[in-house]
Amino acid sequence: MTDETHVPTTSRRGLLDLLLRLGVVAWLGSVLYPVISYLRPLPRQGPTGPVGLTRAEVAKVEREKFAIVPVGSKRVLVLEDAEGTIHALDARCTHEGCTVRFLPGEDLISCACHNAQFDLGGRVLSGPPPRPLPRYVAQRQDDGGIVVSVTPA
Amino acid sequence: MSESGASSRVMRWLDERYGTSQLADFLRSKEVPIGVHAIYWYYLGGATLFFFVLQILSGMLLLMYYQPGEATSYESIRYITTKVPFGWLIRSIHCWSAHFMIVSLVVHMFSTLMLKAYRPPRELTWVTGYLLFALSLGFGFSGYLLPWNELAFFATAVGTDSVKSVPLVGDWLLNVLRGGPEVTINTLYRFFALHVSILPILTVGLIASHLVFVQRQGMAAPVGEKKAPRGMKFFPNFAMRDLLLWLICLMAIIVLSLLFPYGAGIPGVEWELGTKADPLAPAYPGIKPEWYFLWVYQLLKEFPPHLFGFEGPEVCLLVIAVLLATWALIPWLDRKARRNEPSPGFSDFGVGAIFFLLFLTLKAWDIGGGDGELPDDAAVARTCAWIMVGLAAAVTALRAFLFEHRFFVYSGAALLQAVLNGLFGLSYLLAGGIAGGLAAAVTIAILVGERRGAPSPGETP
Repeated sequence: MTDETHVPTTSRRGLLDLLLRLGVVAWLGSVLYPVISYLRPLPRQGPTGPVGLTRAEVAKVEREKFAIVPVGSKRVLVLEDAEGTIHALDARCTHEGCTVRFLPGEDLISCACHNAQFDLGGRVLSGPPPRPLPRYVAQRQDDGGIVVSVTPA
Repeated sequence: MSESGASSRVMRWLDERYGTSQLADFLRSKEVPIGVHAIYWYYLGGATLFFFVLQILSGMLLLMYYQPGEATSYESIRYITTKVPFGWLIRSIHCWSAHFMIVSLVVHMFSTLMLKAYRPPRELTWVTGYLLFALSLGFGFSGYLLPWNELAFFATAVGTDSVKSVPLVGDWLLNVLRGGPEVTINTLYRFFALHVSILPILTVGLIASHLVFVQRQGMAAPVGEKKAPRGMKFFPNFAMRDLLLWLICLMAIIVLSLLFPYGAGIPGVEWELGTKADPLAPAYPGIKPEWYFLWVYQLLKEFPPHLFGFEGPEVCLLVIAVLLATWALIPWLDRKARRNEPSPGFSDFGVGAIFFLLFLTLKAWDIGGGDGELPDDAAVARTCAWIMVGLAAAVTALRAFLFEHRFFVYSGAALLQAVLNGLFGLSYLLAGGIAGGLAAAVTIAILVGERRGAPSPGETP
């Protein structure tokens, strides 16, 4: 008799315990979801199509042979090689995300953070980066301006 | 009315309401174990706590003027250091104290390892201490960005970029940490929130639990003893010595802040404001993180672009994660210490870890690399290996003759790696593979020998 009454009590309690646990998990989820959504930054929209460099940026390319310009959410290295050809590559080193620079005298792109070197095609020449720098399309306009588009070259 | 009469009345009034006499009884009976180990190891936790309090106080003062923002972060720090009376001193104390806190934490952690104070029932004291160390590194990393200067910008770019290697959630985590795909002023806002509210709250909570564990269980007695042979009264004898050390630390920090307000002038230990951060400027040569992150910086440099079909940086960060996880689990891995027996292997593991970190740190400083814009890596490795040989000889002689240590497998492996890399020209990873393989083979041989009942090398009879 005792056993017959004991079994259903235990299973009822077990069910209630399970519901309570599920309730706690659901409650935690309802608290965490808005917090996690709040922490995630909104995507930055920016042009990926052709973007013209400002006059100051073009002047910098002419003076220093390179400039780093924002295109959409990317940093783009725009450089002019010894033959006057304009190149555009991702300025973010593929190793640990430092910003690269162009060394005009050596026709090399270098990252000072971990001493990496790339050629003007973005290929890794030395150092630890695992991937080449992505290349983008860059063109010199008739009026001397430079247009960059972050679509792969 | 006499002063003692008034104070005893106050004490009685408090005792009637809150039972404070129990606390006084606890403090009266509390003892610090002495007699086997040098007692100065027991002061390091208190010294670390003192530096933390100094950080909170100087941080509060800096907050009176600091304004996070693209046009204000750098400018407000410049205002603090150039215009505000003694602003340079407050900032310098904050920076020096931060470095001292890390040094004190590192020595505290290694002394705990050497004395095997993590053995049962104190496993959670080790784990909370480990988490406090992680939080302190978080303080250092988040605080580094707040001046919004060039150095801070690139250190944060590299440091946060590592997060993307975390499986599955790496990109999401990187976005959340930076407040976007790149390091921008949004990253500074997040780091500011971390530095002045989230990390302090977590740290205070963890310090409270760490202290409760230490007070409940008392300080660890030497291995092999259930109770220390002798004890020193915590109050007033030990507490007064603690206070004296804190005063010495405070004076040392003030003197250093006066003499070197912008740091020691070596990479990783300097805080000149320099140039304002420009997200569109390239990284400049010689850029280095804080000294306690230099080993990670150098290890990232040592890994090739690809290894075992994975990208080098990913494998490197996996290796670091495994090493850090091993460190956290030491109380459970050290089975001899769990049985209250000497475990010379783990003492040597600690020395080996110091050699491993030191060799990487020395290399990161480009010691012996010449004066060129790019250092000569082979010359750096050679010079650093010679320094390690000299240092290891001195440390090993000290351990052998002063502390009667007889187990040198892991410290030997760390030294062998430095020698193979620096003096024989092997790559850092190949040298590490050979040294690590040898250490693993010896460890397996010892474990097999122990199963068969033979005593392990260095085992005290």
